[in-house]
Amino acid sequence: MSVLARSVGNAFRNKVRTGAVVAVLAVAIGLALSMLVANQAVAAKVTELNASVGTVLTVNPAGGQGFEGGGEPLTAEQAATAAAVPNVTGVVGTKALRLRNATEAAAQSAAGTQGAGTQAAGPGGGQGGPGGQTTTTLTTSLTAAVDAGTLGNRNQAGEGTTGSTGTTQPARTMSLPITATGTGAEVDSTGRALEITEGSGLGDYTAESTNALLGTTLAEKNGLKVGSTFTINDQTYTVAGLFDAGTSFGNNALYVTLPSAQTLAELPGELSTMIVTVNSMENVDAAKTALQDALGTGKADVTQGQRNLETAVSSLGSVKNISFIAFVAALGTAGLIILLIMVMLVRERRREIGVLKAIGAPNRTIGLQFVLEALVLVALGSVVGAAVASFASGGIASALISSNSTTAAATTTGRGMPGGAAGFPGGGAGLPSGGPFGGASQLLTTVTASASPGVIAAGIAAVFGVAIIGALVPALLTARIRPIEVLRGE
Amino acid sequence: MIEVKNLVRTFKSGDRTIKPVNDVSFELEQGTLASIVGKSGSGKSTLLSLLGALDKPTSGDVVVNGVSLASMPDGKLTEYRRRDIGFVFQQFNLIPNLSAVDNVMLPMEFAGVRKAARLARAKDLLEQVQLDPEKHVRRINRLSGGEQQRVAIARALANEPKLILADEPTGNLDEQTGDHIIELLSSLSRDHNTTILVVTHDRALANKTDRRFRLQQGRLSEEPARTRVGAAAPA
Repeated sequence: MSVLARSVGNAFRNKVRTGAVVAVLAVAIGLALSMLVANQAVAAKVTELNASVGTVLTVNPAGGQGFEGGGEPLTAEQAATAAAVPNVTGVVGTKALRLRNATEAAAQSAAGTQGAGTQAAGPGGGQGGPGGQTTTTLTTSLTAAVDAGTLGNRNQAGEGTTGSTGTTQPARTMSLPITATGTGAEVDSTGRALEITEGSGLGDYTAESTNALLGTTLAEKNGLKVGSTFTINDQTYTVAGLFDAGTSFGNNALYVTLPSAQTLAELPGELSTMIVTVNSMENVDAAKTALQDALGTGKADVTQGQRNLETAVSSLGSVKNISFIAFVAALGTAGLIILLIMVMLVRERRREIGVLKAIGAPNRTIGLQFVLEALVLVALGSVVGAAVASFASGGIASALISSNSTTAAATTTGRGMPGGAAGFPGGGAGLPSGGPFGGASQLLTTVTASASPGVIAAGIAAVFGVAIIGALVPALLTARIRPIEVLRGE
Repeated sequence: MIEVKNLVRTFKSGDRTIKPVNDVSFELEQGTLASIVGKSGSGKSTLLSLLGALDKPTSGDVVVNGVSLASMPDGKLTEYRRRDIGFVFQQFNLIPNLSAVDNVMLPMEFAGVRKAARLARAKDLLEQVQLDPEKHVRRINRLSGGEQQRVAIARALANEPKLILADEPTGNLDEQTGDHIIELLSSLSRDHNTTILVVTHDRALANKTDRRFRLQQGRLSEEPARTRVGAAAPA
């Protein structure tokens, strides 16, 4: 019988005690693994946020954001100026368009003419909007995926009133516009990479193209798939891919290349916004100031999206720290359990150890026997603990995040990130579904704590490391046992 | 050959100093079956522990085949116990959750004997001590006292030691089993040239050994020799 076989046999000498020890170890190890999984998930999310949001600045025309306000549009020359600012690693220009269903637009236009008179400029029938950026109304064969609802009708009616000469218009059901964005890269208005769920991207985003990316719900509403076609101002576009923005508002949108959007708007070289990426979070403030100086305060407004999520990221950082501390604590607890159990076993088997020494067992063999016995218990605890972690880690991570993000979410939800194509009024009949940046609460709750084999394996390796340390102490104690002391009882 | 030179072992008990072994000297030739008798507490087990390198003397030395135990480091003493000594304890001191054959294999495992070889030798030894083959794989706690003592003797013989130290080997056994154990030890001494030193308070048992020592208040004295058990009668 080998040392290992003897250790396994010893581990099961007292089955009731072994069961109890394994159960306690499983709780500690399961908690440790859950915390590790949560820590890794949150760390990944923080990295993602820091990488995609925390370092992004948004440049809007001074006095204008989206389809509101006024001022002069941004130009390609300003984009080049922005790209030359220190610490700026990328500038993506966007051109925002609003699309109306051609049939509905014609009907509403006719109704608007009857009710408010002909408008030479500005919004007719609530379509144009007061902002000066995209006065051209584009028509499309697409139908909006979001029903206007109470909010949509109120918003659209409000716009119509603004554009009228004071004549009160009769209440009518409005259709919502569709957000179309010309973009110079495969990113959304926040600088995050588009999550393409089907098909492919648009290839060269700086060239004219008749390909488009559609939000999943917009495509579904219009029965379109990858390869299907639709029209914008009588120009036929092909659906190259579908994307998921994660929100109903975000998915009622489409993307075309920047030159295509500029051509459709008949405003070549004009930009609605610029998404400026800075090389690190530490340089965001300095880059923002430099960018503002370079573009001129009277010509561009530079806003920092990171501000909106600073609290959220900070909260996630706290969760990450808490989960790491809890992981270390649970790991330490597992080690302590092993230490105490093995010390107890060594004391209980002093006589047996004395006998083994009397018949010539070297100290290392006896020590190894106890370490292996501890590892057998830890292995059993790890199996049960891993099962516990695989079921509990998601819940534990969610509980940690929700308890730490309540305040952060409250301060960020609904604030939205100003600017760009996301500036359209939304629809719906109840509470707003969050601002165009979806609110930090959504980002927080999208942390996916899945117990990946790699993380579980790393956690179990750490548990075994701690267990070996925990078992070495009692194993070394066995070396101090002198056989005569335990055999003298005879 | 074992030489015991002026061996002393003292213990502190409060203010008192106890000397269970007090200036003990003797020699034993290889293959001798010897016994030490004495009352309980006379120091018999302490002397046996000193000879088996389980304990260190306060002064004096034990020299085994010319090698002094006093100068040996702990690692060498462990090796000495593993290769040269076989212990038979009064309480057997077998590992309870192992089978008889596993217990006998233990010293051979520590000595680095390959598994197949130690299994074969363990079975052979258990047969020599007349343990029923079907009980070879039985756990120790399912064997009777006599059977456990036979396993203990088989374990003591595992590495073919030069010296077997037996502490009250028949103390927990009935008379018939005890006689068998003595016969067994005697034949080992005779057939394998193994030195055997038996500690006992049983005078009948002592009378069956080649040399008899008496330990009284820590001091050793030798008694006249008797005819050895199993030896051919004089012509």
